[in-house]
Amino acid sequence: MNSGVIAAYILKEFKELLRSRMIAIVYILPTMIIILFGYGIRMEVTHARTLIIDNDRSKISQDLTVRFQNSKYFDTKVVTGITLKEALESIKRAKTDILIIIPDRFEKELLKREKPEIAVFVDGAFPVRASTMENYVKGVIFDAASTILKEKPKNLVTINNRNLFNQPMRDEDAIVPGLIGLILLVAPAILSALLIVKEKEEGTIFNFYSSAVSRGEFILAKIVPVFILHSINIFILFLWATWLFEVPFRGSFTLYWLSSELYILTSIGIGLLVSVITRSQIVAIVLTIIITIIPGFLYSGMLMPISSMSGESKIEAHIYPVMYYNHIIYDTFLIGQGLDSPKNRLYLVILLFYALFMLLLGSRLVKKETG
Amino acid sequence: MADLELKKITVTHKRVVAIKDASLRAQEGEIVGFIGADGAGKSSLMHAVAGVASFEGEVVFKGRTFRSPKEAEPLKPLIGLMPQGIGLVLYKNLTVDEHLTFFTKIRNIPESPSLREYRQRLLEMAGLSPFTDRPAGKLSGGMKQKLSLICTLIHRPKLLILDEPTTGVDPLSRLELWDILDEIRKSEGTIALVSTAYMEEAAKMDRVYLFDSGEIIASGTASELLEKVAEYSYEPTPCTTRRCITTMDYTYSIDPLDAPRKTPTLEALFFINALREGQQIPHIEISDRENKIAVPPVVMEAKGLTKRFGDFVADDHIDMQLRGGEILGLLGANGAGKTTFIKMLLGLYPIDEGELTLLGKPIKSAKERRELKASIGYVSQQFSLYKDMTVRENLHYFASMHALDIGKAQERISRYAKELGFEKYMDELPSDLPLGINQRFSVAAALLHEPVVLFLDEPTSGVDAIARSQFWQMITLLKKKWGISILITTHYMSEAEYCDRIVLLKEGKKVADDSVENLYKKFPKAKSFEEIFLHYYEDRI
Repeated sequence: MNSGVIAAYILKEFKELLRSRMIAIVYILPTMIIILFGYGIRMEVTHARTLIIDNDRSKISQDLTVRFQNSKYFDTKVVTGITLKEALESIKRAKTDILIIIPDRFEKELLKREKPEIAVFVDGAFPVRASTMENYVKGVIFDAASTILKEKPKNLVTINNRNLFNQPMRDEDAIVPGLIGLILLVAPAILSALLIVKEKEEGTIFNFYSSAVSRGEFILAKIVPVFILHSINIFILFLWATWLFEVPFRGSFTLYWLSSELYILTSIGIGLLVSVITRSQIVAIVLTIIITIIPGFLYSGMLMPISSMSGESKIEAHIYPVMYYNHIIYDTFLIGQGLDSPKNRLYLVILLFYALFMLLLGSRLVKKETG
Repeated sequence: MADLELKKITVTHKRVVAIKDASLRAQEGEIVGFIGADGAGKSSLMHAVAGVASFEGEVVFKGRTFRSPKEAEPLKPLIGLMPQGIGLVLYKNLTVDEHLTFFTKIRNIPESPSLREYRQRLLEMAGLSPFTDRPAGKLSGGMKQKLSLICTLIHRPKLLILDEPTTGVDPLSRLELWDILDEIRKSEGTIALVSTAYMEEAAKMDRVYLFDSGEIIASGTASELLEKVAEYSYEPTPCTTRRCITTMDYTYSIDPLDAPRKTPTLEALFFINALREGQQIPHIEISDRENKIAVPPVVMEAKGLTKRFGDFVADDHIDMQLRGGEILGLLGANGAGKTTFIKMLLGLYPIDEGELTLLGKPIKSAKERRELKASIGYVSQQFSLYKDMTVRENLHYFASMHALDIGKAQERISRYAKELGFEKYMDELPSDLPLGINQRFSVAAALLHEPVVLFLDEPTSGVDAIARSQFWQMITLLKKKWGISILITTHYMSEAEYCDRIVLLKEGKKVADDSVENLYKKFPKAKSFEEIFLHYYEDRI
């Protein structure tokens, strides 16, 4: 290893990145992903367009409709004298999300303990959204029932629900840390693959082939710039998460930073492997995106917790490094157990091995000859 | 003992043998030439010797032997390789100066006064000292090649391997490259292996090796090689036997011919070898065009045509006329503005200043130009073929672009394929074919709509001698049978002599516009057109 050779190569990489303006992509892409996905993925439902047909017009029914009207989750319109057919047509035309029909004699039956029925129709085009809306409606009705009927039914259990770690149930808190795991898997891999494949495509790779520059020197010279540039992204992404999306940070910053660096190295290793098998930059980009974005998204724990996966998907989740990194990241943001948790310690070691393995494999396979 | 010895080298690419059992010897200070068609195995052998490709056999250099790229590693400080392709090893965003520094550093050469002196000497030899701050991407083709060469020389290699360093380079830059090479081998005792498509260059080398389909089939000094073919070379005469071929300037025949002999050039090697092997060199024909039209006396007239890129003037007030039924050769060094001029004619670049009249119509708007598209054929430097489509599919695609009736297209495509001799390649991909075939079918694509004028931008660069000779037969036949006008750029000065008239550009300005005969009259001392060209470019010779 000759430091002068490596330094000359690294200097060249930086000059090229700056002059070709590729540097912009290094910093714009991660920020773009976190902003697009951070605002774009929404699990909770607010302002569901709700149509209430109050056929009773009693005190209790009005009390119930007011509760809907006062909730941020519903945009409520109370109507009378509309047929069921017309109301359902309004759901069909996607003008209404929820239809609630309060029968006449509702108050009377309720006071007589006759178990009146309220009809609720929910637009089920998006099942997840539909079940969320359904639960909201149930919640409002049960809540109303328990306050309006001062004497509580004997067998009614009150659930004192408290969501740990994400008490306000904010989507940002659940998604943004996972996005960091996605971005830091995709972006360094693309850049490291490009830095080598670009030389292959343009022919400058011959300078490495035909000189005494060793494989180790060449690979190090390609890894170091990507590592340095993306290390800065660790901090930028942290700022976006805590400042723009106001995600709390309860754990150790050192742990966040250290595991992110190891994770970047893993990603660079993936890029090296891609550069071994591709010859053109466009193929390298597409291939890297396919093998990083899909697992980075599916097994990030953003959409579905790994612990609730089973069979093949569970095995796949354990193969990709995303799971281990995201476990640590979610801990540092939302929980804060840090290295006290044996699982975090284990996962950190796994990340370390992952990084070493990928880099070693990648650099073993890079050849110093044509063909 | 020889300083460099290659013993039975075989290189295989994906189970296809690229070069088989190649052996050669060279002494210190010698220039060894490799000639042969593309795909003959020259590059593969060079890659093997440079230690960048796996091979069988062994290379002995300076008493040390290697059999694989790995074993070659300790010798790499002594070897310099410049692979094929203009400016291939250059980083387009790095300046001339940064390149030299980068190559010095990766070759691990310590700073020293002698290095600085050597570096300055290289810059001056290459004529690049005024341009040290210019990014490589903004250099002309000739300058790129000179920069590549001095970057390859910065570590004073004892074995220099240059793969077609002069292909696509103008005559002046070629001479300069050659001067650098000649001086270095004398002062440093470097062995140089150089492949070339220019036979004038091969004639200057100490030994020449002729490659053909993966084998070295002849070797010797240029005069030894010429002696072997002299008896088969005649003044152009119609062929009577099968083992005979007539080109623009010669007739080559294995069987004795009743015609005066003519002193051959090294190009004769290719033809005679092909004849000996019984290769079928397709005979080029052109039948009359289907739609007869009257070609106007002046096809294109440019008045003060100017193109600027920022503060760089690529074409500076150029007046030019292309007459009906003439072949006009547009010559000039790399970066003189030839391609830019053709692109202005085609409307690929907007015209900054000046007037252009095509086929009698002044061109002002894109609409006027669109109406003329049906009368113009164009073949670009890179041939613009679709690599993932077969020759047939490419041709059908171009036919439908010109809205040609399918039946008519089918008929024309098969006729051209037959006449231009690429019939048997119709269902292959362009990337698997020799350059010469791609070139002919590119021209066929430009002829499908039977244009009145044809613009050809460096159609012969990198194409082998036989294909070039067939190309010129095709062009002259087109002129004779179709009466169309052809504007062509080339770096082969011998080809300039086949043109009716020559326009010479220099740094964006027109410096000569005359017929070949008149130019010879103007420079009575010139032995070849190359000398005339150089006269305009510099006061050398």
